[in-house]
Amino acid sequence: MNSATRLATVTVAALLAVSATACSAASDSGSGSGDGHTYTIWDPYPQLDASSAWATLLNECGTKAGVSIKRTPFDTTDLSNKTLLAAQQGNAPDVLVVDNPVVSTLAEAGVLTTTAQNKIDTSAVDANLLAAGQSGGQTYGIPIGANTLALYYNKSVLQAAGVDVATVKDWVSLTAALAKVAAAGKKGITFSAIGTEEGSFQFLPWLWGSGAALTKIDSPSAVSALSLWTDWLKQGYAPNSVINNTQTTSWQEFATGGFAFAENGTWQLGNAKKLGFDYGIIAIPGTSGGTAPAPTGGEFVTVPTQTDTGRYATSDKIVTCLASTENSYNTDTALSYIAPTRVVQDRQAAANPDLAVWVRAVRAAKGRTSDNLGVKYPAISQQLWTAVQAALSGSKTPAAALTSAQSAVK
Amino acid sequence: MTTLLERGTTTGAAPAAPRRRRTTNWAGWAFLAPAAIYLVLFYAYPLYRNIDLSLRDYTVRSFVRGDAPFTGLANYLAVLRDPTFGPALVHTVAFTAVSLVFQYSIGLALAVFFNRRFRLSATLRALFLVPWLLPLIVSASTWSWLLNSESGVVNAGLHALGVAPVDWLTSPTWSLVSVIIANIWIGVPFNLVLLHSGLQAIPASLYEAAALDGAGGWRRFRHITLPMLRPVTAITLLLGLNYTLKVFDIIWIMTRGGPVDSSTTFATWSYRLGFGNLLPSFGLGAAVGNLLVLTALAFGLIYLRTQRKRVSA
Amino acid sequence: MTCTGKRWHTALAVVLTGVMLFPVYWMINVSLTREQDMRKTPPDLFPLHGTLAGYQEVLREQLPYLGTSLIIGLGATLLTVAVSAPAGYALAALRPRGGGVFGFLLLAAQMVPGIIMAMGFYAIYLRSGLLQTVPGLIVADSTLAVPFGVLVCAAFMSGIPGELLQAARIDGAGHLRTFRSVVLPMSRNALVTVSLFAFLWSWSDFVFAATLDNGGRYEPITLGIYHYIGNNNQQWNAIMATAVVASLPAALILVLAQRFVAAGVTAGAVKE
Repeated sequence: MNSATRLATVTVAALLAVSATACSAASDSGSGSGDGHTYTIWDPYPQLDASSAWATLLNECGTKAGVSIKRTPFDTTDLSNKTLLAAQQGNAPDVLVVDNPVVSTLAEAGVLTTTAQNKIDTSAVDANLLAAGQSGGQTYGIPIGANTLALYYNKSVLQAAGVDVATVKDWVSLTAALAKVAAAGKKGITFSAIGTEEGSFQFLPWLWGSGAALTKIDSPSAVSALSLWTDWLKQGYAPNSVINNTQTTSWQEFATGGFAFAENGTWQLGNAKKLGFDYGIIAIPGTSGGTAPAPTGGEFVTVPTQTDTGRYATSDKIVTCLASTENSYNTDTALSYIAPTRVVQDRQAAANPDLAVWVRAVRAAKGRTSDNLGVKYPAISQQLWTAVQAALSGSKTPAAALTSAQSAVK
Repeated sequence: MTTLLERGTTTGAAPAAPRRRRTTNWAGWAFLAPAAIYLVLFYAYPLYRNIDLSLRDYTVRSFVRGDAPFTGLANYLAVLRDPTFGPALVHTVAFTAVSLVFQYSIGLALAVFFNRRFRLSATLRALFLVPWLLPLIVSASTWSWLLNSESGVVNAGLHALGVAPVDWLTSPTWSLVSVIIANIWIGVPFNLVLLHSGLQAIPASLYEAAALDGAGGWRRFRHITLPMLRPVTAITLLLGLNYTLKVFDIIWIMTRGGPVDSSTTFATWSYRLGFGNLLPSFGLGAAVGNLLVLTALAFGLIYLRTQRKRVSA
Repeated sequence: MTCTGKRWHTALAVVLTGVMLFPVYWMINVSLTREQDMRKTPPDLFPLHGTLAGYQEVLREQLPYLGTSLIIGLGATLLTVAVSAPAGYALAALRPRGGGVFGFLLLAAQMVPGIIMAMGFYAIYLRSGLLQTVPGLIVADSTLAVPFGVLVCAAFMSGIPGELLQAARIDGAGHLRTFRSVVLPMSRNALVTVSLFAFLWSWSDFVFAATLDNGGRYEPITLGIYHYIGNNNQQWNAIMATAVVASLPAALILVLAQRFVAAGVTAGAVKE
């Protein structure tokens, strides 16, 4: 055997030997869906590492339930695909924390247990927040907390433009304010209209604020909402980059200090404190006043189906520890979310007056998959963001864009 | 100089004694054995899975259960009838052709230039490979930053030159151009390395003889370099074609295939159908993916045909 | 052609390299930028009010990942070369029956999208216990380069003059001996090229790492970037800092490897 082949043989043999060791090691440690003493939790918070308050909380809940926790964070856009793949292979986690619009898809796939099976108590949760996790009359999880959108504003820019933010109450006054800001040499508003779920998420307050519904996105009110955005772009009140902005990018634009308004969410509160200027928050206005219903962000804690149904009891203990009314104050403080129950929301607002606006916004918010839209929502959402992009980039008029979007939703 | 693939299919240029031929055959397969086992172990299942996904009607439920009904070519018909098919086809052809032409020519020019072996040439050539060290999410994101309509340095540079800013990533006219530029940037090192290695194999004596005969630089290039590089060129273009057809990360991160599908190619369309939205359609995504495989195989056949013609001519 | 003269060659090469690496420079620029300057219009060419916050985070958290990436890269490279070199020789010189079909299958195999390969591996690894292990990832990453390796080795090895091989046979060398003593030394360029790409592709791989090793004890650096991609917020200076820190050791290896290649090429030319 010559040296090249010998080298090759040795390499392959070595790799096989190492894999064999890994094989036996893996089966001992019970990776995958966990053994009797280890419960697996998947969540979409890769930015929170093992030393974060969230991970500590998970371990405490595990200890209280008498088991050890193996936590794996995933990128949120990837988590539902990974869950489907794992479920197909019988490797689903014991507890799954997942973004709320995806819950109905996973439920439809038969991956999640209902509250009847897993015995989680969701009675105290606000109905508008629970709706995203319900379909076909069953509830599939409990919200861990909620966040939503509002308008951040830059006090100095508005002052320099002579705009009193108290006058911004509806679309007409908002556009007038933007015009004044543009005349003063600054930029008006930034938001995210990217061709992903984030874009739809940011457009929904305006769609709902005009009185339109997701079931009929080519109604005249919907067209008026899209025309609002399109006109802002044409007039230069909103920059062209919004077409490709994620919410993070949009926030970065606001953070430069050159914008009067930014549409963004609760999760920026921590970053807002690091802004180099004074800021304030107002609710997103409806067409003729009032607060526009904004979509709910935030994750649900769910229990995927397991072949060993005996595990549900312990999973239930872990979930209750994370999301019950008594504990959600700590959980939501760790995650910077608004709690899903009235009593804890009031407690949060009392402890931190900055949160009062957000608590009101969350109470007025709507789930994207509510009204029994369930798995119809993803198709509608995709057509919606496509229509928004078509109108903003000038390839179609708002009316034409929404009409083709509605007809594409079969 | 005959080349790889077609060799296996010709019946042998010189008649060899039967026993010698058998031994060579046996030895050949012995050398191929590790790769053959490897191919079967690691590619057979995913390849089968890809075909199987496209021939069944998958919902999320049947994906998890594994009991999707067999629907034959229904997914392929649905894909062909989809309004996105036409634009995706045009964009894929344009993206691939333009990328390959520029990647190859720039790579060849650089390879010839670096072949001169001046001071620092080896180090600089190595530095050209640095873009390949970066995960695509980082390089694609960097290009997004460079090409941002408001805060991108490219538009700032255009502004300094007095040219109006271009909406690189957000206008349906320019989005395809932007991703092509980024793709060319990523593909140049690949071509540079392969072509440079090919240039190394050309004996210097040929060039010296031609120079003695009075041939200038350009003639030497046309009559020595290009013909001697032909097998390497062929394999570089073939592999380049394969990889360019598969490109989706760059486009996905820069423009998501938009706006309005203006930079959607088959690869991004396949990903969007299968993994890029909240409700996956695995069957359709796999069907589009298989169309790409068929295209690549068609070009592989053309490659074989041209090689055979060249040998017999 | 002298090695020292022609200063303008070097100058032009530096300019070209600079143009090519400008996006990499921009990446470094972003990694040093403060949050509030990220979207400044027009952007700063230099990070005048820079911050090292991104690097501090990366150096605090990501260094172990570099070691894992290195092991995976080297392992995948070794495996790729071990599988590709003999196969390339077979296709180029030995030409067994059905070799053309084999080459064709390689082309088809290469076209399978990475995510589908990852899903297939997930199923196999879950059953064989290789999920979330380094050897598993080594094997998976090698699939990125093996078809390429076989085709490139075959292409380069077909350029070896048949007379040399026949001469070796006449001297009584068997196929293995010929392979080791004649073919391999003459294919140094091909082997280095294949190793280079195998290492690079494995170093920057993301799909396999995310599907097969997420949550494992040893994760490669590409997964380390995930720490800064939160569910609602991305920390761009840390993401770019991770990429910069990840590229430095690999860039060093590249430059050293090129030195080795250049030396080998020169030695070969002199021998001729």
